[in-house]
Amino acid sequence: MGRPISNTAMLIRLATIFQKIEDAILVSLMLAMISLAVFQIFLRNFFDAGIVWADPLVRVLVLWIGLIGAMAASRTNNHISIDVISRFLPESVKRFTRLLIYLFTAGVTALMAWHSFRFVAMERADGITAFANVPAWVCEAIIPVAFAIISVRYILFFFQQLIDNIRQTP
Amino acid sequence: MTLAIIGILILLALLGAPLFTVIIAAAMLGFHLSEIDLSVVAIELYRIADTPILLALPLFTFAGYILGESNTSKRLVRLTQAFLGWMSGGLAMIAFVVCALFTAFTGASGVTIVAMGALLYPALTRAGYPDRFSLGLVTTSGSLGLLLPPSLPLILYGIIAQQMSDGAQISIEDLFLAGIFPALLMITMLSAWSVWANRANPIPLTRFSLKNCRAALRESIWEIPLPLFVFTGIYSGYFAVSEAAAVTAMYVLIVEVFVYREISLGRLPGIIRESMVMVGGILLILGVSLAFTNFLIDAEAPMKLFDICQSFVSSKLVFLILLNVFLLILGAMLDIFSAIIIMVPLMLPVALEYGVHPVHLGIIFLANMQIGYFTPPVGMNLFIAGYRFKKPIVDIYRATIPFMLVLFLSVLVITYWPALSLFLIS
Repeated sequence: MGRPISNTAMLIRLATIFQKIEDAILVSLMLAMISLAVFQIFLRNFFDAGIVWADPLVRVLVLWIGLIGAMAASRTNNHISIDVISRFLPESVKRFTRLLIYLFTAGVTALMAWHSFRFVAMERADGITAFANVPAWVCEAIIPVAFAIISVRYILFFFQQLIDNIRQTP
Repeated sequence: MTLAIIGILILLALLGAPLFTVIIAAAMLGFHLSEIDLSVVAIELYRIADTPILLALPLFTFAGYILGESNTSKRLVRLTQAFLGWMSGGLAMIAFVVCALFTAFTGASGVTIVAMGALLYPALTRAGYPDRFSLGLVTTSGSLGLLLPPSLPLILYGIIAQQMSDGAQISIEDLFLAGIFPALLMITMLSAWSVWANRANPIPLTRFSLKNCRAALRESIWEIPLPLFVFTGIYSGYFAVSEAAAVTAMYVLIVEVFVYREISLGRLPGIIRESMVMVGGILLILGVSLAFTNFLIDAEAPMKLFDICQSFVSSKLVFLILLNVFLLILGAMLDIFSAIIIMVPLMLPVALEYGVHPVHLGIIFLANMQIGYFTPPVGMNLFIAGYRFKKPIVDIYRATIPFMLVLFLSVLVITYWPALSLFLIS
């Protein structure tokens, strides 16, 4: 039975590599956004000029950074939530409410990924451009991608919790 | 059937499901019942990319996280101590002032208690303030400064109000001006109470020394321009809010990484990720709420809500009292960003009907939320303080209650004296 262990090890390594890539994208987009925003101000004040596509690009970057940040938040189930009841529940009950919540979150985000994918596909068929020569669907593509990844993460949480629960009950 | 689903959604939210999924589910349910294609939720989410002011959110958050990770807190305490330490009640006042400034820049994410509390709590007890008083003071100060620019909740309120105001124009610059005097009122009342509470307990004062002031000034010379950027830049109309945010973020990055060298380049990616996880959480809720709010407005929910209110409450004064009670409870249960995003679209139209100025409503809203941060049993800062200072949560409850009452009094003044917030804006 050596195989399952090495499979899990590989899964964990894959997840780590993926997180590194995610971090790298997030950091580069953030630095690009700050630089571009400051450069625009510089151009406006000293040369009374500006790059036409910089402002819409910066706004799209806000969306991308926000969604990739949300992806990163779901690595540890670190989303904003109302933590009123769960704080007072015993661990034995929480094991099951968590299962429910993971399943619900995975389901809703999967639904959202599917419908935003349809939205992006429609925009692509319409051939709308966002700014310069960049088609709008490219800017919007992050929405289905982000929700799909969040969904996958919560599916994994669900199974992890399920396995834990089975192990806990003798 | 629909009611059952709504009940299940509320239960899931209370059990701790991510709030954005609950809002998406509610919005999708609403659109499904109105037979509108569900991809509309994605279209609404994409509106994030059409709202220029939102740029301020990641930039100010990033700047705040960098300041939180460097030694700014130490320098700020030293600076204010040099200038205010000679006054009686000086140290308590220092604590209030530095926490307010720090929170305005870092957002009320608990970082004030962690960074500032770690410096101020031992300093206060060493200076002779009772333990319980000091504990209450640092816990309370963790959310002081929400009303001062460039605090994120203030900006977020402005963004939401702009998104939906038909007729009532509201600018973020106005909100920035409106928060100043209410914040000063809170600091003044808290300081006065601190002096009175310790009247039987003489606290030794530090002598004012010009040399000390000069040294402290020199030490923080690079950080002193920061509030100046924000205040003069925005108030003079030279910078837009998002531009001030860009300049602040760039400046803080350069100063803390390359001038003070307190943050190594290697730590930068981690800090960026941490700050953007927070921004992502807020933006996601904001984005999906745009969809949900549109549905509510289509369904004329605010008007119906107003009609219900009108049948019980006819005067503005009673409305404001009920508003305060409601917001206090809300603030203890919901974190400030989701509270703003979810409640403001419903509340603003109702408040406008009662003749409340939208800017004034924003100040009332945030002032109540500020108290909610440390309202038992679930105010977030109570847990952060308990964790940080390793005290049982019940001790923290007991320590903060007097401060809470003082702040509650100031919120009453702020609520029933609109001119305090509004006299700077025409």
